[in-house]
Amino acid sequence: MNESERNIYYLRGIPVPETPPPGKDPAPWKKTDIVGTSIPRVDAYERVSGTARYPSDIHLPRMLYAAVLRCPHPHAEVMNVDTSAAEGMPGVRAVISGITSDTDFAWWYSKEIKTKIFDPLCRFEGEEVAAVAAETAYQAWDAVRAITVEYKVLPFIAEESKSLDSSSPLLHPNGNTAKTDKYSRGDVGAGFSEADIVLDETYRTECELHMPMELHGCVASWDNDRLTIWESAQGVYSIQSRIAEILGLPLSKVRVIGHYMGGGFGSKLQPGKYTVIAALLAKKTGRPVRLFLTREETFLAVGNRPPATMQLKAGVKKDGTLTALEFSCIATGGAYPANGTGLVDWLVRDLYLCPNVKTETKDVYINAGPSRPFRAPGHPQAAWALEQMMDALAEQIGMDPIELRLKNIPSFSQGREGNPPYTTTGLRECLSEGAKAFGWEQARKYSSGSKENGHVKRGVGVASALWFAGGGNPPSTAVVKLFSDGSVNLNMGASDIGTGTKTVMTMIVSEELGVKPEMVQIEYADTATTQYATPSGGSKTVPTEGPAVRAAALSVKQQLLSFAAADLKTDESSLTLRGDEVISMKDPLVKVKIHDVTGLKKRGVIVGVGYRGPNPERKVVNPFAAQFCEVEVNTMTGEVRIIRFLGCHDSGRVMNRLTYDNQVFGGITMGIGLAMTEARILDRDQTGKMVNRNLHDYKLPTSLDVPKEMKSLPIEKPDDTANTIGAKGLGEPVTIPTAAAVANAVYHAVDVRMMKTPITPLQLCQALEKGGKEGSK
Amino acid sequence: MSSDADKHECSCGKGLTRRQFLTSAGAGALIVTASGHLGKDQEASAAVIKSGEETKITLLINGKQFQMLVEPRWSLLYVLREELGFTATKEGCGRGECGACTVLIDGMPRYACMTLAVEAEGVEITTVEGLMKGEDLGPVQKAFVEHDAFQCGYCTPGQIMAVEGLLRKEPDPTVGQIRQGVSGNLCRCGAYPHIIDAARRAAEMKKSGAL
Amino acid sequence: MTPGFSYRRAASIKDAVTGISEGNGRILAGGTDLLGCLRDSVFTTNMVVSITGIKELKRIDETPGGGLSIGALATITEISESPVIRERYPALAQAAAEVASPQLRNQGTIGGNLCQKPRCWYYRGEFHCLRKGGDRCYAVAGENHYHCIFGGNGCYIVHPSDTAPALIVYGAEATIAGPAGMRKVSLENFFVPPAKEVTKETVLEAGEIVTAIVLPPPLAGLKSSYRKIRSRQSWDFALAGVALALRTSNGRVTDARIVLSGAAPVPWRLVDAENALIGKVPDPDSAKYTAALSVKDAQPLKHNAYKIPLFKGLIEEEVVNISQA
Repeated sequence: MNESERNIYYLRGIPVPETPPPGKDPAPWKKTDIVGTSIPRVDAYERVSGTARYPSDIHLPRMLYAAVLRCPHPHAEVMNVDTSAAEGMPGVRAVISGITSDTDFAWWYSKEIKTKIFDPLCRFEGEEVAAVAAETAYQAWDAVRAITVEYKVLPFIAEESKSLDSSSPLLHPNGNTAKTDKYSRGDVGAGFSEADIVLDETYRTECELHMPMELHGCVASWDNDRLTIWESAQGVYSIQSRIAEILGLPLSKVRVIGHYMGGGFGSKLQPGKYTVIAALLAKKTGRPVRLFLTREETFLAVGNRPPATMQLKAGVKKDGTLTALEFSCIATGGAYPANGTGLVDWLVRDLYLCPNVKTETKDVYINAGPSRPFRAPGHPQAAWALEQMMDALAEQIGMDPIELRLKNIPSFSQGREGNPPYTTTGLRECLSEGAKAFGWEQARKYSSGSKENGHVKRGVGVASALWFAGGGNPPSTAVVKLFSDGSVNLNMGASDIGTGTKTVMTMIVSEELGVKPEMVQIEYADTATTQYATPSGGSKTVPTEGPAVRAAALSVKQQLLSFAAADLKTDESSLTLRGDEVISMKDPLVKVKIHDVTGLKKRGVIVGVGYRGPNPERKVVNPFAAQFCEVEVNTMTGEVRIIRFLGCHDSGRVMNRLTYDNQVFGGITMGIGLAMTEARILDRDQTGKMVNRNLHDYKLPTSLDVPKEMKSLPIEKPDDTANTIGAKGLGEPVTIPTAAAVANAVYHAVDVRMMKTPITPLQLCQALEKGGKEGSK
Repeated sequence: MSSDADKHECSCGKGLTRRQFLTSAGAGALIVTASGHLGKDQEASAAVIKSGEETKITLLINGKQFQMLVEPRWSLLYVLREELGFTATKEGCGRGECGACTVLIDGMPRYACMTLAVEAEGVEITTVEGLMKGEDLGPVQKAFVEHDAFQCGYCTPGQIMAVEGLLRKEPDPTVGQIRQGVSGNLCRCGAYPHIIDAARRAAEMKKSGAL
Repeated sequence: MTPGFSYRRAASIKDAVTGISEGNGRILAGGTDLLGCLRDSVFTTNMVVSITGIKELKRIDETPGGGLSIGALATITEISESPVIRERYPALAQAAAEVASPQLRNQGTIGGNLCQKPRCWYYRGEFHCLRKGGDRCYAVAGENHYHCIFGGNGCYIVHPSDTAPALIVYGAEATIAGPAGMRKVSLENFFVPPAKEVTKETVLEAGEIVTAIVLPPPLAGLKSSYRKIRSRQSWDFALAGVALALRTSNGRVTDARIVLSGAAPVPWRLVDAENALIGKVPDPDSAKYTAALSVKDAQPLKHNAYKIPLFKGLIEEEVVNISQA
């Protein structure tokens, strides 16, 4: 390879950021050349060509297909399982159940209560009863249908409001309360007495299902005592540790490969029983086994956003000062402890300045699938309550809803002990800049005066949010390798769940080394060959992995400069990297090509290891948001059409505007689902079974359900205190305020408060008939 | 990367070890000579294929013929993914409710999960692999890259085929037509705005003669 | 995954009739409903008889009298895009365009759209309900948000077809082939309400298949439309839908047809409301009056009373719209 060809690895003429001495943190980036630009994803080719191999595409030689028999009742005891007919069917290679000897492994949804992989007591519809491995998927299902099970059907609970009734059956010996949490600051009684206006309302959000497009499942394969799992997962190490613990294997003997995965939204942070079942079937047959659930099964057994009923009482003075907030919530994480009320009071505690706050949350059991974390756990529910309440308070005191919010913006986290300050908060700008970009004032006037449209009314609404986490945290280890030809390899354990992690990390390496993004090859999401990382969730992947990747790239630079200093017989602090050369900042004639650096040539590769440093002490790193929307409501039919949406977000530094905007629109789309179309429906009065367990009856938003106009306005405040890349999380805040913004816009249009999700003609046209905005009919 | 020879070998290797029948027959899917006479003789095909029995069919996928044995109940999706290794076509629901398995049948987007393989004889089947020229992306694929029209990428092959089908029918679609055109393809990541941008871009690229 | 079945590819209509007359054969056309039902074990079959190779069933032909004959295998897309249908039978084209999703419209046929099984989630789910030969309708005391407000009698499904109400406003007929030969049934009488027989949706007898839908020539000056309201803007059945046809003379209504979808176990024609419109000026007042009359006999269940104001609003809006069109 000649000189000029080698040079194509590097961007010409771009000065790379300075290289700090080893052991010192780098200065924050000032002007960036790669970070912050809009570049297409580094793995876009694979995703559009179909060469990206998702776990459900894995096809190993001699691989069997597995299927699971699930309990059809919400609460039942398995009395007998007869698998004899199934075992003799064509293609069937193994059948396992609670009565076969090789399945006695513990399982837990959370550590408090242990159950079994095939537990004789089924506490929700869809609990695993038996499983089959066969030569084809069709044969596996034939065999599942041929298994006969004798159940003793037990009374069930399908509504959290009935869980604590004395007549309700007990799901667990210690009663049906999973947990109760209380929080208090100040004196709410005093706060309410100071208020000019006190409102007390009850809100409800329905149970929402994750429904990533790739189903849940894995391929499991044994080589003697080593288990390899290809799983559709948000993090390979979290799968590894849990499976090793359940099966009693050393971590080194469990290899989990993640690579591409088709969405998770929190439901794939952990393995499922399916992972264990695939491993057991593979062990029993001595062959690789693929077990991916059917869509119907994923409605029952792999998590949800818990339904929540929330009571919120709020007091405000005429000048807009919030005096007290009192919040109580009953929610359910399903049939096992699963944090059904996790963070559901957080926005009430932390979003607005308020000296007197009291919250109480109660998580109770019902006979339904356990919840799993769902994109910003607790937050969209709380926003539905709090942000509608803010609107209602603003109306009562005759203040614009944005102004009321602006009057109550904190600079510190009141919900945490000691009121630690936020490293940065852009909430004020999200609201004010967003309002400008949206044309709030004009739209607010135009909409409320839109009588000329006859029975179709327009309204605009706003809601704001913060996300509890989003700052990232240690641990994370990343490795950057510089090869002797100057090309670069990045090795990290984190998964790219569709947020563009690989692309952003590539950009960081590119920024530091000046190497072209497309010349950085990434190895990732494999416990055997890549570094430890926590799963991608909590909007923490970029702020967690990014600093580790930057540190690894810096380490490479430091070593390279040190080697070059030896060649150039100069001090390494006088050197910098420019293009494919190490060059003296004092004398441009003193330089050496990267591939000519002796130390690199000798060693063959420079390995830079980077670790995620600690977060700033006594400070809180949170992203902030405000979203605005305009709706049209047909007052004769209750139809709501969302005309436009603006997402205005402070997530620190914008790493890649293209993927950033995509996240914003995606979060809004999911929020529209919560607001408008999605709800799990259980046959509460008869059988307790879920009736809408398919993607027709459980309605995810389509391209026609999102507004034609979607805009994103980043409030870019690089957060240099938070971490060395200045970025905060984005993936979750983008979906928090959406549903509430829609509800506020509907109210503005027709004066009807949507206390419950989803907003459909089912609710709205009855409410409108009872009386909405005057003259609306 | 997506050469048919690879696919052929892959499925063949699997077929050889997978079922008794194929072991004795010694072949899974065979590529037969490129295009030519297609479509079954109706009289011959009026015969009944019994449940559980396999029958030989010929599918025309991305311009190449594939012969294989299938059960009557096997969906085209199952055959594409599990028998032939065309794994770009995804399974998201198996019941015509998500669109991840969208392929073109005689140029029109349809769900491969709701099409029996035995019913897919005598038609032209196009998958995402069929939009490529060797390793080069087709215009719709390029436009999806440019506009970041996906996140996790799982629904993407289906979205691309829906857009491809739309553009073959309506080369210059309005935003409204595009929104309609991809309304049979769920994207849980919510990349719809970028998908719509990409479809418009793809229309321009196709008009300007990009292949 | 779908249980096994035998498969027969019919070479002719006669062959298809023979095929489904044996055992419990089922016709496969577009397959979008059949394969879903088999996957969900709504029913089982030992024989799937494919009619997709029968070319004559795919034709859309003008009839000598100026009407239109639509072969049972014409796809929903073909119907929504047919220039003849768009011009002469716009409600049908509009209804077809509102069906399911683009892919399903490319695949699904008009015959299948009329013969599809109900979308009740109890019927489709793991519930041995009345319609499946069980002893009760789970919708009565269950989650009946999407169930009927008219015509429920033991069973409370709503008819899922968008095209059926549109075809009925034009007085369409179904051509049926069976072991005893051909017969014709007006589409209005094609659907079987639960009061008559709870395990059947259509008048088709064993061995019978729909081969074509025949539309009479459109009345001169007839205005017609179909409008559908749903929870989701694509891929959703009607919460409420209305096919409407009006003709006026000297500003007064002379002919009226109102047929609802999403309202009853069969497409629901509102004869009283139609009659009430005749002789009136189709203005907002008569629209309001007609709408109120339309829902006067509604019998909502626990969770679907919203359909009363919904249908009222929809009908009022559509009567005004069509008279201004």
